[in-house]
Amino acid sequence: MITKKDFKKITPFIWEIPKTFRVDMRVPARILASENLLDDLFKDSSLEQLINVATLPGIQKAAYCMPDAHEGYGFPIGAVAATIYPNGVISPGGIGYDINCGVRLLKSNLEFSDINHNQGLLAKRLYEEIPSGVGRGGRLKLEDKKLDQVLSQGAQFLINEGYGEAKDAHFLESFGKLSNADPNLVSKHAKDRGRDQLGTMGAGNHFVEVDQIEEIFDNEVASKLGLFKNQIVILIHTGSRGLGHQIATDYIRVMQSSLHKYNITLLDRELACAPFSSEEGTNYFNAMASAANFAWANRQLISWGIRLVFKEMFNEDLNILYDVAHNIAKIEEHEIEGQVKKVIVHRKGATRSFGPNHPEVIDEYKETGQPVIIPGSMGSSSYILVGTIEGMKEAFGSSCHGAGRRMSRHAALREVQGKKLKIDLETQGIFIQTGSIKGLAEEAPLAYKDIHEVIDIVNNAQIAKKVARLKPIVVIKG
Amino acid sequence: MKSKVKKKYKIVPHIADIRLQLKADGLKHLFEVALQGMDEILKKGFCQKKTKYSKTFEIKIYSFDTSSLLVDFLSDVLTFSHIQKAIFCKVKFTEFNEKNLTAKIKGSAVENFDEDIKAVSYHEADIVKDKKGNYKTNIIFDI
Repeated sequence: MITKKDFKKITPFIWEIPKTFRVDMRVPARILASENLLDDLFKDSSLEQLINVATLPGIQKAAYCMPDAHEGYGFPIGAVAATIYPNGVISPGGIGYDINCGVRLLKSNLEFSDINHNQGLLAKRLYEEIPSGVGRGGRLKLEDKKLDQVLSQGAQFLINEGYGEAKDAHFLESFGKLSNADPNLVSKHAKDRGRDQLGTMGAGNHFVEVDQIEEIFDNEVASKLGLFKNQIVILIHTGSRGLGHQIATDYIRVMQSSLHKYNITLLDRELACAPFSSEEGTNYFNAMASAANFAWANRQLISWGIRLVFKEMFNEDLNILYDVAHNIAKIEEHEIEGQVKKVIVHRKGATRSFGPNHPEVIDEYKETGQPVIIPGSMGSSSYILVGTIEGMKEAFGSSCHGAGRRMSRHAALREVQGKKLKIDLETQGIFIQTGSIKGLAEEAPLAYKDIHEVIDIVNNAQIAKKVARLKPIVVIKG
Repeated sequence: MKSKVKKKYKIVPHIADIRLQLKADGLKHLFEVALQGMDEILKKGFCQKKTKYSKTFEIKIYSFDTSSLLVDFLSDVLTFSHIQKAIFCKVKFTEFNEKNLTAKIKGSAVENFDEDIKAVSYHEADIVKDKKGNYKTNIIFDI
């Protein structure tokens, strides 16, 4: 049983469980947290899960936990781990069931005063244009050939089909497409689950949100990103829907049955993995890439629906600031013990936050570092940050992904009445459209950690730098 | 006197998802009650009202232990639920061993789901037999 005495305080915001804590740990486990948030992690099995991650074959440097972390499956949600390429393992549990769940931010030139008094209608129109897809399909039903093109080409396929502007793909992480994607490695079941779900949000914590920029922390960076105080921006939070969920399910099963073959012993079946270079490992990586591409296409089609509404209501064009994945595996190069090494970075509930001048950051953001978009819960703030050079040295250029849950859905339901919450939020100027009042209560702001505290830790630990804080004014949920 | 079959489920708190606590007096019953619990999460009350079913599918699974078999069984039914947009209320096992099963599932179309279950996880799935001979496990659904 781990206690606080087992931790070494590296800095006021970085805590380490040494690799001597448990005999099977291959690297230490590091937690980015304040003392207060560290205490929260003792309430569930996050720390035990992180220690299990530190045992994975080929893991490098440390297993990391972000300040918004909570218990997940195999990996905690809010974890980062890198294994050596090509013989370290890849674990679907290190990416999660919702492959390339992520966030996109659209910028307008509108100010709050331009849309004030129209929030109710805006919420209604967005809800009509963006289906949640819970048991119902979206606006497209793709036959096999087109679905395979989505899986291979990601957002670019939809842009080519007229659902976006030519410049859109440039402003997406990995340009909205992982080129190793192979639709032939995606099961028929996965394709059948996803073929009518493109352009749908899903339920749970997924949402589309219209925000007002409430505060700018760094005027110079904000200006370079095209952000200003009172500006209206739109956040999209969703992933690869049923297609990605099925790919994760399929390959966790494949990898469980191949553990023997590769002599891998695990304490938790959800950590099922295979050497990256094995057939199982490579097949998963290429199937995962297909789901990642589907997710970028999904956020592209949702963007198209949002653009329709803003054009119709305000005659306004929207531009993409950036689109970040927070459940994904990528092959990247990082400096580890003084050497540049190629590693397979697993980010599960963690956002890539590459700093200035990184080769994978587009020219527009070379000076500032890539935008890091962190959504809050519907009644609290969201944040825009940028990656830092210091962050590249700590958690493989990664940051947090949200506020992180602190309360179960049951506990939230005991404390919050959905209808009352909707009215309360409206009196605060936050207009909600949702398919489920119960779901609304489960996602109540009090069920989440304090986003301001989470972001301050990220900022103070220098893994990303605060640029702007957003206040929600319209929220659409499944 | 005919004894009352003990098979029951309970939805208990989980930090982010849904935890189903299962108990039954036999392994097959445990699988049946797990399906009932999952169906209730997908669409509350749907199976209590249904007596006729329009969709039938066969499932064949081989897993490396019984706990995985239960998760894989629920995963396969969930997959059919999502693809067919249906709830499968009835299951008939034509083959049932510790590591493999063949089953027919029967269900009907549904307009929408109450919960969007992403996946059935292996986390906490660990079937144990208690002193009274009842089988127990938790199943956690990622939502």
